[in-house]
This record gives sequence, structure tokens and C-alpha cells, in this order.
Amino acid sequence: MYLWENMPFILIIGSLVGAFIMAMFARWKRDWCPYLTIISVGFSFILSCILVYRVAGGEIIHYYAGGWRPPWGIEMMIDELGAMMLLLLSGSFLLISIYCIYAIPREIPPSVSGWYYTCFLLTLSSMMGMVATNDFFNLFVMVEVTGIGACALVAAKGEKLSTEAALRYLILSSTGAAFLLFAIAFAYQITGNLNMTYVAAEMAKVKDQFPVIIWVMISFFTIGLGLKAALFPLHIWLPDAHSSAPSPSSAILSGLVVKVYIVSIMRVYFLVFGFDVFTGTYMRYLILVMASAAILFGSFFAFVQVNLKRRLAYSTVAQIGYIFLGFGLGTAWGIMAAMLHIIIHAFMKVCLFLSAGAIYYQTGRKKVTEFTGLGYQMPVTMVAFTIASLSMIGIPLFGGFITKYGIALGSLEANNPYFIALIVLSGLLNASYYLPLVWQAYFVSGPKKFKLEMDAIPFSMLLPIMITAAGVIYMGIFPNGPLSFLGKAVARFLL
Amino acid sequence: MDDYIAKVVFRYVTLVVVIYGFYVILHGSASPGGGFAGGTILAMGVLIYFLVFGEQWRGKLRESPMDLAVLLLGLGAVVEGIKFLVPQTHGPVGAPGTLFGGGWVSLANFCIGTLVAFSILNIIYLLVEEE
Amino acid sequence: MKIDFSILLLNYPYFVSVIIFCLGCLCILTQHNLLKKVIGINIMQSGIFLFYIALGNIKGGIAPIFDPAMPEAAIYINPLTSTLILTGIVVGFSVTAFALALIVKLHQFYGTIHAPHIIRMRSLG
Repeated sequence: MYLWENMPFILIIGSLVGAFIMAMFARWKRDWCPYLTIISVGFSFILSCILVYRVAGGEIIHYYAGGWRPPWGIEMMIDELGAMMLLLLSGSFLLISIYCIYAIPREIPPSVSGWYYTCFLLTLSSMMGMVATNDFFNLFVMVEVTGIGACALVAAKGEKLSTEAALRYLILSSTGAAFLLFAIAFAYQITGNLNMTYVAAEMAKVKDQFPVIIWVMISFFTIGLGLKAALFPLHIWLPDAHSSAPSPSSAILSGLVVKVYIVSIMRVYFLVFGFDVFTGTYMRYLILVMASAAILFGSFFAFVQVNLKRRLAYSTVAQIGYIFLGFGLGTAWGIMAAMLHIIIHAFMKVCLFLSAGAIYYQTGRKKVTEFTGLGYQMPVTMVAFTIASLSMIGIPLFGGFITKYGIALGSLEANNPYFIALIVLSGLLNASYYLPLVWQAYFVSGPKKFKLEMDAIPFSMLLPIMITAAGVIYMGIFPNGPLSFLGKAVARFLL
Repeated sequence: MDDYIAKVVFRYVTLVVVIYGFYVILHGSASPGGGFAGGTILAMGVLIYFLVFGEQWRGKLRESPMDLAVLLLGLGAVVEGIKFLVPQTHGPVGAPGTLFGGGWVSLANFCIGTLVAFSILNIIYLLVEEE
Repeated sequence: MKIDFSILLLNYPYFVSVIIFCLGCLCILTQHNLLKKVIGINIMQSGIFLFYIALGNIKGGIAPIFDPAMPEAAIYINPLTSTLILTGIVVGFSVTAFALALIVKLHQFYGTIHAPHIIRMRSLG
């Protein structure tokens, strides 16, 4: 069956064609764009659900572009991690595109709103391509397209700050892409292949022959993809870009865009280089150090921010540290916790950023000191915000607890129990900058008495916030389904 | 730019550059180069004219050749399927190494050349107009 | 460790491309003018393109175009790297165009494209 065989290709091309159609409608009928975007993303979501169903049945889906088999052609491979990421990406984009209907006209000028959806779909398409591809050069192209699309999402606001942040993001991300391209050149030089599976097979044979090139190559991969994934000393573009963007863009950038780079870097480390090279070049220890620094300093920086979205952006730096710490430990539980945290953090950050956007939509408040009485003015949003905050801190029954527990187990497996102290400390730090907001919203009484009333925002903005909050609770109470699904991917990573 | 020498010289140089661009595009199947390189040369020829004489295409249909080329390529791919870029199976085929030796590839090359030339021109026109 | 300089001389395109790459990186890091930073990205990418082309080249090889008139034993260069670089050039061009558009916009806002001036004006409010 045509659709069944070519499903990964149709999934990626579908969004790309959607982007082109949206560019047409941006010139012609601008009002239709949000609804057409929802249809296009919904199509991707249905296809991703089918892909997850197929992969859950024990099948690893290979697709060969144009019928050319590797090592000559471009191969797409969807394993458990890839299928999970595809579902996460298309699901989150579906929720955010529903949120966009009313949020976008408020936040960006009407003349560019049609083009915003073009970049929206372009980013979705290239991110799904990055997750699905098994070819190095295809990976580079997708990385660059994602970079351009994400910069356009930031710059769409058209203000001073967002333009400057977008330019800085663009310069740094294309520098990172240049490093990535050089690393791919080294991979092609010593192995003669561009397909990741074949590069890995060849690398295992020649790794003793070219120690210096492998050293340079793994460093360049770390710099290139780490710069885009905002690993701690390379995170300088992140707070400006994420806080000055429109709220839906912030949710996309913070929750999803940095994650796909992490998925790529995990694949490069574990599937291409293998665990021995990863440890033998001391890159694993460097990752552990940088991740620990990210957790501590990201939390510290978040603590001193006054702007709500800036505080959330620095919190992202810290949470990226968790993911790197998880797979840097290199044990089964650590990698599992990293993969789970990619999903749970996407839920949490999308929920938090959309809530921040909703608060701005209804009350026009941007600062963390202005939360007084919000718990009575917009109860549903604040309940979702509270759930996501408690999950960030790592309270049991919420999603964040599962990953903290997993990383703790992983550090015990790696005979390195010091990281448990780090996790406890960072939980306290998270509490110190999230709990005051919640406390202020509910328990601080202002000059006048507040009456409990319903949120004055459209239901289409409330729905994504509620669904993501429900997702956080679901992942906290029933983590078994994703755990057993990702278990096979972890087993393949540690082979 | 208001320079007499430049105006006199580039009035003819533009023509030569544009013709050379078409040459490279059309001989894409028989020589190094092809759609991308030829399209760039074509765009450069038109750009020299724009830089020297300050005249550009301001019409509403400026982006339509680009769309048309994409449409043609996409339609070709849909109609032909996997065999789309395999040479010498369909279309007007000449001897290999000559002008029409590529079959459909020559046509695709022409579309790509148009696409590249007009994309470059449009991007630079847009940048200039925004000033 | 004794370094064999004859290897460097034999493989000088790699050496030159790494130097160009480092120059571009230096240009991005040290220049204050935003336009020069964008030029730095382009220099960096040119270094990588040279590396790829040197990777695919064979001494005495010819362009890989099928021609029945050619002898059977002709040596063709590796076309894969050239095609990859074609894609790389397109991507680099689009990045440059986008960055230039953003710089034009920044110039409208601040009246300058000198990065420290922009940062100072932003911090003053």
C-alpha cells in the first residue's frame, strides 16, 4: 500500500507542502491560515499516531528515498525514540496551533501573521525530518532549516528586542551548523559513508587508526549540536530569544526545538561513536561537568530574573542540564531518564509558556512580582501553572519526579552518588523560584478583596494549557507505558 | 550609480553574462555546471544591470516564474514517479553528451535554473526595497 | 613527537581549509560590526566547502559526466562531495539573506550596526 510504505516521507513532505500552501494563502486569504494550519498539523498527528502504533508492534520502519538502498541513498529510520519524538512534536504543535488562533493576532503585527504559519509548518517539517533521518548530510540540512525557521519565529514579533535576539540566535546557530558540517566532513573522510549505520560500522573498525580525527570530530559534534541545544556555556543566545519571542514561539523553542538537537546528539554519541569512544575521549566527563554547571547556574540565573518569560527561559537552561546529565551517566536508567525528561519537560514548558502568554493576554502582566490575586482572576490557568511548577520542583505524583528519580537511580548505577546531592539541591533551587509565584497568586491579599471568577480568555487558548497540565499528571502517575516503550531504544543505545 | 563608462560597458557585458547563463543551464546534462550554477550566472547578469542602471522588475507577477518552475518540477515528479530523474527513458532524447542527451533531466535543469535565478533576484530586490 | 612536514605539504588543501575556517571563526568572535560577523560566517563556510571539495578530488580526475567517447579507464572525481556542497551553498545563501534582512531592520531601529553601540542603547532603554 502506497501510504503505508511511504509513511515517514509523507509525514515530512506533508508539512512542507502545507508550508508552501500557507505561503500562498498569506498573500491571498490571511484569515484562513490558522485553520488550514490546524488541518495540516492534525494530519501529521494522525500519521505519527499510526507510526507509533506500528513501532509499538515491534517494527523498525526504514524508508529509502527514491528506492535507493543505503549506503548510496538517503535512509529514514524510525525507532522507538524517533516515533515517540514524532508523536510529541506533532501533538505539541497541534495544541500550540490551536492556541495560536487568538494569541497570534494579539502578539504579532497582522501583516506577517500569514507568514508566521509558513515558518511554523516549516519548522515542524524540518524537526520531524531531523528526528526521522538516518543520514548525516540530511541531518545537516534539516538542522539549518530548523535554525532559519526558529529564527523567523522569534523575529516575527518585529520589535527591537526580538529582532536583535533573532540575529544573535541566527549567527550563533549557523556557527554551530558550520561546526556540524565540518564534523560530518571528518566522518566522511575516515569512513567514506554518510549513512549513520554504515558510519558506525566503519568507525568501529578504524577508531584505533585515527585517534586524533575522532577526537576532533566528537568535539566538533559537541560544539555544533551543543550550541544549538544550549548546553551551559553555549546557552547565551537562549534567554533573549526565548523571552522576546511571541508566547507560542517561546513554547515551541523552549519545549521542542532544543530537544530535537539533543536527540540527534544522543544518537551521534551512542549509535555512531559508541559508548567506548564516548568515554575514552573524556567527552562523557565533560558533558557531566557542563550539565552539572547548567543545572546550578541556570537555576541561579533564573532566580534573579524579574521578567516571567526570562525566568522560564533560564529554567530551560537548567532543565537541559538534566537531560545531558541523564545520558552523560551512560547507564540504562540515566538514558531512560533523559529520554523521559525530553517528553515531560516538553509538556511542562509548553504549559508554563502558554500560561504566561494567557496571563499577558488577559491582564497584560509580564513581571513575576505582579502575580497577586491571579489565582482568583484566572483559576484554570493558575491551576495548570501550579501543576507544571510542582512538576518542575519534582514533587511525587507529578512528571518531574519520575525523571529525578530515574537520574538518581542512574547515578547509583554509575557508582557516582554525588549527583543525588546535586538533584536535591537543584530541586530546592527550583522551589525557590517557582513556589513564590504560586504562593503570591493564591495567598497574598492585595489592597482589595478578590472574587473567584472564570478566566476571561478564549476556550481555544485554555484547552492546550489544560491538556498539557493533564499530560504532566498522567506522566507522573502512569509512567509505565512510555517507560516500557522507550526501554527497547535504551537497550539499543547501550549495545 | 551614475558613471558613463560603466553604463557603456555593462550594457553589453550584461547581455554576454545572460547568454552565458542560459548556455550553462542548457548544457547541464553534457558539461560541468547545470541548473544551479547557470541560474546564479543568469541572476548575476540581471543584477549587474540593476546595479548600473537602477532599474528593476517591480511588477506584481515578479514571483510567478518561481512558482511556475516549482509547479512544473513537482508535476513532473508526480507524473513520472521514481523514474523522474533517470535519463534516457522518456522525452526527446539525443545522443549522450550532446545538448538534448539528458531527456527529462534537461527540462528539470531548466526549471531549476529559472527557480534559482528568480529566487536570488527576488531576495535582493526585497532587501533593497526594505531600505 | 616528530611531525612529518611532508604530509602537510602533500595535503595542503586540508591545511588551508582549516586555516580559513579558523579565520572565519576569529572574524565572528572579534568583529563588532554585525555585517562583518555575517561575512565571518561565510568565510567559515567557504573553508568547509574547500575541505569537502578537496576530499572528493582525485589528481588527474575529470568531471563525472557519462560520455561514451571517453576511454573505459578514465578516472572520475567523486561527485558526491560536490553535490553536498551545492546544497551547503544554498543553505548558506539563505542564512546570509535572512541575516542581512534582520540587520537592515536593526539599522532602522537603532541607526547603527555596531554591536556594542546597540547593546549600550538597549541597556539605556
